Amino acid sequence: MTDPTARRAPRRSTGLPRGFRFRRFSLRLLSLLLGLLFAALATTYLVVSRANADTAQQHARTNVELAARAVRSAIKQRLDFLARSADLMGRDDALKTVLRASDPATLATLLQSFTRRVAAPVIVLYDDNGRLLASSQGALDTENSGPFSELIRSAIEKDLIENSGFSYLKDELHVLIVVPLYAPHPNIFGWFGLAFPIDREFGLSVRETTGVELTYLSIANPDRPRLLATTLPASAITPIARAVAAADRDRPSTEIIDLLDDRYVSLISFQDMLAAPPIALVLQRPLSPELASARELENYLLLTSLAALAAATLLALGIARGVSQPVQQLAAHTRVIAAGDYATRINLDRVDELGQLADAMNTMSTGLAERDQVRDLLDKNVSPEVAAQLMRDGSALGGEEREVTILFADLRGFTTLSEKLPAPDLLALLNRYLDRMSTAIEREGGVIDKFIGDAIMALFGAPVAQGDGPVRALAAARGMEHALIGLNAELAAEGRPPLALGIGVNTARVVAGNIGSHRRLNYSVIGDGVNVAARLQALTRNADYRTNIITSAATLAACRGAFPAGAGGMAVPPRPLGMVALKGRAGLVEIFAVE
Amino acid sequence: MPRFPLRSLLAVCAWALAWAAATTPLAAGTVITNVKDAKGQPVADAVVSLVALDPSVPVPAVAAADPVVITQQGQEFAPYVNVIAVGTRVSFPNHDKIHHQVYSLSKTKPFELPLYGPGVTQTVLFDRPGVVSLGCNIHDWMAAYIVVLETPWSAKTAVAGVASVTNLAPGRYRLDVWHPRLAGESHREIVVPSGDAPPQTISITLKADRRIRRAPEGAGGGYK
Repeated sequence: MTDPTARRAPRRSTGLPRGFRFRRFSLRLLSLLLGLLFAALATTYLVVSRANADTAQQHARTNVELAARAVRSAIKQRLDFLARSADLMGRDDALKTVLRASDPATLATLLQSFTRRVAAPVIVLYDDNGRLLASSQGALDTENSGPFSELIRSAIEKDLIENSGFSYLKDELHVLIVVPLYAPHPNIFGWFGLAFPIDREFGLSVRETTGVELTYLSIANPDRPRLLATTLPASAITPIARAVAAADRDRPSTEIIDLLDDRYVSLISFQDMLAAPPIALVLQRPLSPELASARELENYLLLTSLAALAAATLLALGIARGVSQPVQQLAAHTRVIAAGDYATRINLDRVDELGQLADAMNTMSTGLAERDQVRDLLDKNVSPEVAAQLMRDGSALGGEEREVTILFADLRGFTTLSEKLPAPDLLALLNRYLDRMSTAIEREGGVIDKFIGDAIMALFGAPVAQGDGPVRALAAARGMEHALIGLNAELAAEGRPPLALGIGVNTARVVAGNIGSHRRLNYSVIGDGVNVAARLQALTRNADYRTNIITSAATLAACRGAFPAGAGGMAVPPRPLGMVALKGRAGLVEIFAVE
Repeated sequence: MPRFPLRSLLAVCAWALAWAAATTPLAAGTVITNVKDAKGQPVADAVVSLVALDPSVPVPAVAAADPVVITQQGQEFAPYVNVIAVGTRVSFPNHDKIHHQVYSLSKTKPFELPLYGPGVTQTVLFDRPGVVSLGCNIHDWMAAYIVVLETPWSAKTAVAGVASVTNLAPGRYRLDVWHPRLAGESHREIVVPSGDAPPQTISITLKADRRIRRAPEGAGGGYK
């Protein structure tokens, strides 16, 4: 059964892998910077380390190759020395005397003397036919000094004046040389055979001059490799023998052998033997001393890399902080602005893009504050819808002439009432009244221009043009009257005397705009039509008219016959009240009662 | 260097003599042998000897001659190669102003003439056939050979490489050639007719010349 979810594609497939998406800019910058630096440093370290390893191997290789020459040279020098010694021995008068005496025992003792004189551990003497005459070592008889005979035979065959080779003497590895005994020169009477052992001491002398470990090894029996001479502990034989067994017999080869907790660059060559299978010469140089200086460099590099990483971390954090901190400040400031605080200014004290952003935000705050002021202004005067519309259009705040319907409402008998009531109660009552009236006006889309004590001035068709402003104004007037009835019922219930009002409505072309000082502006309208509305309101006090609402013919004309519904839900046509002269105005105005 | 023209002159003379010997009819029984090396160059100091193979050939008795003289002069033996009959005495006069010590380790005649001074002559009897290598214990470069022969018919080649053996009765002979540097052996069977035998030309292979060359006087280094 396969898990059905196993094949499902990952839910999120954003561009960046999950591990590389960071919430914080600083982390992102840090990871980027450190990542790049780490990659560069790691590459450098690896390259240097690799180059060092190569150099060390090359060094070790050169060393072992030099050591191979040193070994050859050391053997050749010793052979040369032995050859010269043999030459001197051959010129010895006593030797000739003893040879004439034909006394092998005496001859053997003479050869023993020679071993001391020329520091050759083994000296044998053969006649010119390769027959053993005497030996400095009793144990060396005809049988086991065979390698000398072989050397002599091939020397005679090839007419050589000396001949040398590797062989076993009494089972120990030796280098042998045969040199003629002349009597006189160049008449060959017989042959000297001399030999020196290739042993640990020889290896140590090579190591002393070359710093290279030397091992002679016989793998004639592959199962039981035989250590002939070595400067290394005997335990090293197994890995060396394994490498030797795999090595090329025909030419020297270089291998790296792991042994004794180190890696050894090993030069393996094979040495022919007299009457025996070839033996291996292994010259080895451990890599660790070659790498020692490189290690120092690598450690130094590692240390500087770590320091650079640490410095880069601090730097990246610093840069990130330098960016993220002001960004956070800006974000915080944005929240401050969002909360409505336009007075606070942000000061980043920098000239870069972030500084420009801060400046822009400050400019924005200033703009918002100004706009807010205007909005505040409007909010007090107009309904929120009108305010919003104004904010959208942004017009109508300058001075302009337009047709506006002005509604004036006044509380009757407020002066006497104010004398009867204590101030708090009076104000509470007034505000209660104004509140009801305002509601009625705004319900019809009117804009409260101002409260003048207990009087209300409201506008229809300004600051936002309304096609049906006059109708709305008359409807508002009726609504106010109706609202007052409701208020009066409440007042009666409270045991208070009822209130009465008078409303004047006039439509005229007036000047609309912000009026006031630099510090205090008010949107309002001015003009004769405003006075007319106020005068019409005053006319309601005239009991003869028997109405609370008086409007002008201009308003009715503007209604174009569309009368708003009355209290009973039916449109009652206005009752003409005739022509009146208004104070401060030439000519007559035709007025109507709205019921 | 001044010896070189002299040597050339000698060579010419020797060649002329040999030519004369080869062309001039001799009394009966002479074998003229030309000894050459592998390169065809004449070989001097080669010993040519004949041994009669037919029992019928009469072998004349070897006359016990006066002592053969090998001098020591200028720290050299002279002559270098000597051919003597068995039973010949050889005297070794020292004509130098220094001492010499003549010796031989050869099995034919091992001997030693202990250090002896100027003007002294020592004599040694060579009573067995064979080759004797002579040396001087003091002077490594001094060397000479004595070829002791039983046969009466022998001669030594001169510089021209020609040796002439006379007084041969007709018959079969073994012609032996020996030289200090001879590689191997050189034998040839020849027939001597009544009268002169045809000249023999024998090629021998010589080993490398390993005689010690004396360093020039005053070079301070003895020899090489």
